[in-house]
This record gives sequence, C-alpha cells and structure tokens, in this order.
Amino acid sequence: MRVLCCLDGTNVEQVSKALRELWATQAPTLGILYVTDTGPRHDIGHIRERFLRSPGPHGPREHEMQQAEHAAAQDVLNEALHRLPNAETLQRQGRPEREIVNVAAEWRADLLILCPRAEYGGKPTIGPKSVGHVARFVLDHAPCPVLLLRPLAREQFPIDR
Amino acid sequence: MFQYFPIPEFWKTLLASLVGVLTVVGIMRRPFRWNEAAIAMTGAAILLLLGLISFSDAFFTLIRDWNTFLFFFGMMGLSALAEAAGLFDWLAVRAARLAGKSAARLFLNVFLLGSLISMVLSNDASALILTPIVYVLVTKLRLPVLPYLFACTFIADTASFLLPVSNPINIIILSRFPLDLLTFLRLLFLPSLVLIGINIGIFFLLYRKQLKGTFEIKRLPSAEQAVKHKAYFRYTCCVLAAVAFAYVIASATQFPLSLIALSGTVLLLIGGLCWKRTSLRETAKRISWSIFGFIAGMFIVVRAIEDTGLTTVFGNWLIHLSGGTSFGAVMVGTAGSALGTNLINNVPMAVVMISALGGIQHASPVIQHGFVAATMFGCDLGPNLTTVGSLATVLWLLILRQRNVDVSGLDYFKVGVVVTPLMLLAGALTMWLLL
Repeated sequence: MRVLCCLDGTNVEQVSKALRELWATQAPTLGILYVTDTGPRHDIGHIRERFLRSPGPHGPREHEMQQAEHAAAQDVLNEALHRLPNAETLQRQGRPEREIVNVAAEWRADLLILCPRAEYGGKPTIGPKSVGHVARFVLDHAPCPVLLLRPLAREQFPIDR
Repeated sequence: MFQYFPIPEFWKTLLASLVGVLTVVGIMRRPFRWNEAAIAMTGAAILLLLGLISFSDAFFTLIRDWNTFLFFFGMMGLSALAEAAGLFDWLAVRAARLAGKSAARLFLNVFLLGSLISMVLSNDASALILTPIVYVLVTKLRLPVLPYLFACTFIADTASFLLPVSNPINIIILSRFPLDLLTFLRLLFLPSLVLIGINIGIFFLLYRKQLKGTFEIKRLPSAEQAVKHKAYFRYTCCVLAAVAFAYVIASATQFPLSLIALSGTVLLLIGGLCWKRTSLRETAKRISWSIFGFIAGMFIVVRAIEDTGLTTVFGNWLIHLSGGTSFGAVMVGTAGSALGTNLINNVPMAVVMISALGGIQHASPVIQHGFVAATMFGCDLGPNLTTVGSLATVLWLLILRQRNVDVSGLDYFKVGVVVTPLMLLAGALTMWLLL
C-alpha cells in the first residue's frame, strides 16, 4: 500500500504517531509531501503593482526569498525523515491543495493522510471552519481515500444535541 | 491641432473629457498589461497633439510640481541605499529577537517597525522593502506567512500620515494646499496613532489562532549577519537620523522636503560609492523610473480637464455635499478620496482632488483644513480596502474565482473590507473632533 502524507510544517509528530498506530506490524510504502505555497508570493507581486512597480522584488531579494522557502521545506522534510526514516520525500511549489491532489495521482497513492489545518498552538477546534480550505479541497478532489487526522478534542464534548 | 482650426469650446471640453476618462479607464484595466506610465503618457501626448493643452501650459504644470518629482526620486533613493546597507534586514532581525520566542510579540513588533519605517522613509519602503524581508524571516521561523504579510501592507498605509514625508501623496497635496506642521500633526498624526492602535487590535483579533505559537530563536540569523559593511551601516544610520530630524525642521519652516530627501540620497550614495557598497548603475536599477512618467502624464491630463472646468464642477459638488460644515468636509473628503483611490489609484486620485479642491479657497479655514486633511487621509488609507490595486482588479479576481480559477489576492480584499471602513470612520471622526 502506498501512503502519501501531507506535511504543513506543524503536523510531523501527529502524522508519524498515526502511522505507527495504524501499521504497527506491516509497513506501507510512505511518501511525505511538503508544498511551498506560492500564494503569498503572488500577493507580494500584487502589492508591488499597486505601488506601480514590477511584480518581482529586486534580484537578490527574490533569490533570498527562494532560498528561505527551500530551506524551510527541507527543514520540515528532514524533521519528518527523522521520524519516518524510510519515507520518500516529495517537494513541490504552487497552490497546496492542487499540488497535493496532483501528486497523489502521479505518485499513485492508495491513501492520503493530512490534517484539517495547520495548528500554531492553542486548543484544537471542532465545528464549522475547523477544516481549512486546503483539506476541504483535497477531500473534494482526491483521487484516493483520504484520512483526515483530527486532533483529540474530547474535552469539548458533548456538543448540543 | 485645434489651436490652428478653431472648434467650439463644447467640443474641446467633450474631447478633453473623453481622453481623460479613457486614460483613467486604461489605468484601471491596463489593457494588454500595458504599464500605467505608458497609458498616462499616451493620454497626455494625445491632449498635446490635439492642442487641448498647450505645450507651454503642460511644461509649466510639470515645473510647478518639481517638489513632488524630486521627493519621489529622493524617497526611492533613500530607501534603496538604506536597503543596500542592510538596515531593513538588521531592524527585522532585531524586532524578532526582541519578541523573545512569541509569535504574537513578533507580530506586534512588525507593526511597530512598519510604523517607524513608514513614518521616516514613506509607505513605499514598508510595503515594498520590509514585506519581502518579513516574508523571509517568518518562512525561516516556520510561522504562518499571511498575517505578517498583511501586517506589513496595512501598516504601510495606516502609518502613512504620521508625517508629511510618510507618503508621497501627502507631498502632492501639500504642494498645492500647504498645512503648517502643528496643524498637520493635530489633524493627521493623532488620528494616525489612534488608527495604528485599532489596526493592531483588529489584526490580533482576526489572527489570534495563528499567533498563539512560539518560534525557535536558533532559526534566526544574527543581527550582525544582516550588516554587510559595518562602517557604511553606521554612516547610513547617522544620515537617516539627520534626515529624519531635518524633515521635521523643514516641515515646520515650509522648506521643500524634496531637497532634504535628495540631500540624504546624495550623502548615502557618496558613502556607498566610497565604501564600494553600491554603484550608480545598481542604485539606478532600484529606482522605478516609470513612476515619473506616470505622474507627469497624470498632471498634464488633469490640467487639461481642469481647463474645461469639470474638476471645478466636481469640487463644487463636493463642497455642496459637505453642507458647508466641518463634519461634512471631513466625511465627504474622506469618503470621496477613499472611493476614488480604489477606483483608479491613489496618485491620480490625489491629482484629481487637488484640482477639484481649488474652489475651497473661498471657504472658511476650518472647512479648508477639513477637506485637505481628509483628502490626504482618504488617499493614504483608502487603498487598504482592496490592497491588491483597485476595485477593477478585485472585480477581475472575483470573476476568475467564479470561473473556478483559484486566485490569490482575495484574502486581502476580505480583510480590507472588514478593517478599512472601520478605520476610515474612526479616523474621520477623530479628525473632525480635532478640527
């Protein structure tokens, strides 16, 4: 079985823990994917155009931005490799939701694992808007079954009946 | 052409208005991705060729606004050379270190840093130079990028009326309608402080979930790494401190601010060349030359329309709408400028407004000050509503989204629509209370 795990920079521990529990005896073929979102870069371009400038920042600054993105992606993948040593690493750039479903199809994944949204601290949320736009798009468009790793939030139950 | 073949005034008015409208629509839509400067210059050239404005009139219009052109040049030069010295990188790293490990404190520091940079070096420096630096910083720190990106963009505009030099739009307006420094500070500095507070408060509320985390200090570069040449860096800091001081003195004495900006640029350039930190070619590459063409084109187009009396009609209509009260002047000036700046761009809107407000010279000083301050305020803060450019751009993005084409930029619009009307209202009310 080929399992593609989508990393968002905050969920490496959660994904590796889920994998250990799911496949304690028989290890699947693992792929770990990190997509650098190019949306903010486009937004910077729009801002520059508003100030009547060309969309791309000055040459060295552009290079610095690319380097930072690449280093951050490598950092996240290395952290995941530390916990999942036999996984194949996949790195992409673009709109995350679209890259994830396209990579899942290209890589012929049998299962996709991802979290509902990046968590930067604070309590996990349940209810409306708890699934981010990336996870929602993937659930709607994935070419294979999707396992959505929700954080444990039992203390927020029972909810109104 | 029509100078040699007399035609009725009505047709001249109609033609000049048509060229003006087409120029503005062209700037809004940018057909074939044409540069705004090319469109504005084409409009001006057509008016000149048709004889709807004389060459001497166009020439004197541009000469009269020499302060604006030189200020744009000096402002871009100062920012470019300060960037070459590593000042912005150094400030960003210092801001991150001062935040401890807290994402929320870093967010606050980005706001404060953006305010400081906008105040002294104008909103261009915050939006265009600080934004990519903050992007690199938060990417390295593995923090969510968008809140910090929004913070830079919004604060660039929110802090752009702290001083006359904080936004070149202020210079365009003040060149025609001078305000003494104390009046400027009373009517714009204090509302700006209020709005910076509101901006920070709303953003903390909007992004409270993303800002709960911490970051690892070890991911931060050291502040020293940002500085490529210590002597030039120190020299740049000294020159900028002197420029900031001179700006305040010049604003108080009505001395042309462009000459201060230009002197600072020359001093930094000499230092950069002596220490071999930059070259003339490198500095020239960092200056957006097309802006001069854009402003020149717009000045000529608006001057030609002014001759037809249309801008006077628009100005009289604004005064009529205000009901002759200070409250009306502030509200109409703010709303009109903010809406207009989102329809076209804040530079042409400011040029249109200074032409339209020609008629307020007969009004009482309170009404005059109300209109002038509100025009600056609306043109400075208004772009935050759409941020991605203008309503035309946003409408285009919405059409793309409807066609299931995923586009960026709409996130900005959503935040702008929530935050900006509140800030415009709060700022206008504060300004009215201080009139």
